[in-house]
Amino acid sequence: MGYEIAENLKHALDLLRGNKSKAQVIAGATDLFLQGLPEQVVDLSGVPELTCMEAKDGHLYLGSSITHAEAAHSPLINEEASALAEACLSVGSPQVRNAGTIGGNIINAAPAADAAVALVGLGAEAVLVGTDGRSRRMAVEKLYSDYNCSTIDSSSEIMTTLVVKLNREEEGSAFSRFSPRRALSLPLLNTAVRLHLIGGRIEEIRLVVAPAQPAPTRLIKTEEKLLGFIPGKDSWDEVAKIASDEADVRGSLLRCSEQYRRHLVGVLTVDALQKAVNRARNAEGSS
Amino acid sequence: MDVNAGKHDHRSHIFSGLENHRDPEVWDKVTGRAVYGIDLEFPGMLYGKILRSPHPHARIKSIDSSRAEAVPGVRAVLTAEDIRCKKYGIVVKDEFPLAHEKVRYIGDEVACVAAVDPGTAEYAAALIQVEYEPLPAVYDPEKALLDDAPQLHDDFPGNIAWERDLIRGDPERAFREADFFVEDTFSVPSVHPTYLEPIACVAISRPGVGLDLHTALQSPDVVRSLLADVLGLSLSRVRVSGPVMGGGFGGRVYGNLKLYLLSALLSMHTGLPVKMQLTREEEFTVGRPLIAAKIKMKMALNRDGKIIAREADIFTDNGAYSAQAPWVSKTLSERNDSLYRIPHIKTKARLVYTNKVPTAQYRAYGNQAANFACESLLDQAAQKIGIDPLELRLKNCTQSGDTTVHGLQIKSCALEDCLERAAKEIGWFEKNKDRGYGISAGIHANGSLVANKDFRGASARAVLELDGQVTVYTGEQDYGQGAHTAFARIAANVLGLEPEKVSIQSRDTLLTPYSQGALAMRQTTVGGRAIQLAAEELKRAIEQKASEITGEKNEMDAGQLMSTAGVTTGLEEVAHYYHHETSGLTLYGEGKFVPPPAAYDQSSYGNISLTYSFAAHAAEVSVDQNTGALIVHRSVAVHDSGRIVNYIAARGQVCGGVTQGLGMSCHESYIFENGRVVNASLADYRIPTSLDVPEIDCHFIEKADPEGPFGAKGLGEIVMVPVLGAVANAVFDATGIQVTNLPITAEKIYQALSREGC
Repeated sequence: MGYEIAENLKHALDLLRGNKSKAQVIAGATDLFLQGLPEQVVDLSGVPELTCMEAKDGHLYLGSSITHAEAAHSPLINEEASALAEACLSVGSPQVRNAGTIGGNIINAAPAADAAVALVGLGAEAVLVGTDGRSRRMAVEKLYSDYNCSTIDSSSEIMTTLVVKLNREEEGSAFSRFSPRRALSLPLLNTAVRLHLIGGRIEEIRLVVAPAQPAPTRLIKTEEKLLGFIPGKDSWDEVAKIASDEADVRGSLLRCSEQYRRHLVGVLTVDALQKAVNRARNAEGSS
Repeated sequence: MDVNAGKHDHRSHIFSGLENHRDPEVWDKVTGRAVYGIDLEFPGMLYGKILRSPHPHARIKSIDSSRAEAVPGVRAVLTAEDIRCKKYGIVVKDEFPLAHEKVRYIGDEVACVAAVDPGTAEYAAALIQVEYEPLPAVYDPEKALLDDAPQLHDDFPGNIAWERDLIRGDPERAFREADFFVEDTFSVPSVHPTYLEPIACVAISRPGVGLDLHTALQSPDVVRSLLADVLGLSLSRVRVSGPVMGGGFGGRVYGNLKLYLLSALLSMHTGLPVKMQLTREEEFTVGRPLIAAKIKMKMALNRDGKIIAREADIFTDNGAYSAQAPWVSKTLSERNDSLYRIPHIKTKARLVYTNKVPTAQYRAYGNQAANFACESLLDQAAQKIGIDPLELRLKNCTQSGDTTVHGLQIKSCALEDCLERAAKEIGWFEKNKDRGYGISAGIHANGSLVANKDFRGASARAVLELDGQVTVYTGEQDYGQGAHTAFARIAANVLGLEPEKVSIQSRDTLLTPYSQGALAMRQTTVGGRAIQLAAEELKRAIEQKASEITGEKNEMDAGQLMSTAGVTTGLEEVAHYYHHETSGLTLYGEGKFVPPPAAYDQSSYGNISLTYSFAAHAAEVSVDQNTGALIVHRSVAVHDSGRIVNYIAARGQVCGGVTQGLGMSCHESYIFENGRVVNASLADYRIPTSLDVPEIDCHFIEKADPEGPFGAKGLGEIVMVPVLGAVANAVFDATGIQVTNLPITAEKIYQALSREGC
């Protein structure tokens, strides 16, 4: 395996160009190396442009090579993107969290990758730059072409930044997950939610579950039903049922039955919604 | 994980003051210096790989290995045609080193290759062309018993590898007359011991000299005899020696015989050392997990809570080949009957061939499966009769002095004390209403007097070295469970030496006495007695030699010899005296511990073991009613293993066994789809992580046993026996439902709760 270490973003793109689209970029490599060692890699973990973590102009800018551990323990992310911090804390084991990055979690394109699910729930967009000099900005959920397949060709394109809107007043997010073991375990289901309350009613909402389709999937009908919902007054049971009915989930021999996964959609959706509501209420007056 | 050992009165204890005595190998392990099978390398060494069947059941029509042989770097390709070996097996003979004519499961060994590196061997193996004619396959033991089921082995018609019908007393009458009965069907899936180090070996054949096999085994002597027999070699020319073992848990009693035989055959064909090692995936797909069991059990009780009879109909799933599965099935179907005083027993057990992974055993030899059924059923009975589950157990406990329904002679038993202590420690009488509590008990034998009726005990040799230290040679095996420290303490205690002055030599069939090996919880109890006797013999020999030197009677105390006139002689002096007198020999003592033969009849009634260990465990759990998610908050383990030789090692055994038991209770299971293992990785076969392990509270009821060395009994396997029942009963207490098919997953609890309409 050829191994090149990029010093900065320009150098990284030069190295990819030099390898004529035959090198793979790596950061944590926790998923990539499980599939065998690539012939040539460009290591991005030391590229300073990919490690930013700042709030400005109403947005949170997160470098793609932020590790799960850094995200889980960042006060800024815990405040402004609680769902992401929670998701990152639930990934794998401490070793995996110390190495694996949030950008890698998206590009690996596993259908229920925790950080990716949270980022879709938060409405994050990814900024990508190509070896051809072009740059694009895409909603994270648009970066999936099939199960475990990303639209990003990491031999010619680098994800630099993830952009998330900062919380407004009475806005909050949350992530919930159910897995058969307390660590090192893929979730049977995970869910992320971001919502904005106005006058105690849900005014805006994004609700995402996985694994369902190749990309983390929004429950659009449930979201619509939730507009105008008054937490503390309206029935959560009904929300659970609507979400459960809407989600396009399947069963598997290895994980659980479809029926149980469908039940979990309802339970976890309500759990995440309630956490997000509490955060939105507590966030009142802050930021 | 918090570990609480409880309080011990060290002052009165014979092994007191030894808290700092550690096996020196522990440091090698934690600093990465220990050499495991996977680390072994020899000059000129080749690497072997195996071509395996992709079919669950098929006839082999032809094999063409010419393309593999042509690969540069390949030194040998073997198929069944190239080797002449006898059929072999641990209990029943049903295997060849490579498949003859038929393959019987996905993974069956068809051909093997030795090459200069593992990559070349693997590449070449994939080039071997095998033409198969697929045959109908059967995966379910009950279906395999049907008349029109596909047949696996010509020698075993009806797919029955082993069966047993057993009646003690008059169970039919007891069931007629009983006030209550309870019945249910329990199933326990196949589980793998998941030792950290996949099995690895190096075979070195030297023409005219013999065969050396380097691999870590719990029972190297038995494997040595089997290798010599199957390969047609002189026994004296076969040597098995072990590197450090990366975990065994019963899975390495005989390890992976196929791997040893094939590496030996490749080495015999090439004249070079051949290394083979299983991948983790192979460990799951061709390793030897514990048999799966389906147990239909029915229990009759009287109004007063006395159990009067029990009936069990048991199917155990053998997979394609047998290894020690018949013995495991026998233990599974019998041992638990002696935990309580049950006068009438009826048992039907069948071990059935299916086209799946061949099986063997895992810590506790299947006893845990029957125990799970029994302990679950007892809580159903307690509910039906309206009696506290603890009280129900206390009314039925086996006691010291009992001869049980199968003729086991119980010489020491603190079962009642264990139950009462477990209840007290878990808070049985001041329960938190949001939690569920379960209690369960267990029995397990210490070595077998009947597996080989002519070979019931153990032997050892203790040698006085020239520097005054002592070396003990034993065929028993330390594989992390602490046998070496236990042995050093036993010998040191006899000789009045510090245990650091006793070194234990094992893991080499050339140097050590023959042993049945580290199995059946016999190491400390049986092996330890032999070491005690060897040390006593050595002590007598030393005293006699010192008497010759001083011309007076000598007695040995605290490592010193003292004559009647008060003249002291050091051990070094005695050692040198004998060394010079014999021009080179060293003083030794041989210990022969030979328990009297067991009265054991055709119906297998009799005392099958030297002595028996007992335990009671309790668990505290909570269940999320919304999802069925189960949290085990606390586990209390109370053990009657006689006197404890080493508290640190004993606590290690308890914590490890409880953890593995929790894995079996809540997480682990082979999952098959048409004979294929679909979860053959540690990502998908989920053993507990440290976050899944609760606080483990460990206590010992130290009643001295009359048989074991200094009153000690075995502990390693029994730890796993009561765990499953305690967890299942705690879930029953928390939810009102019993999950009868392991593992107890959130989904199963949820589904049961949904059915109950909760």
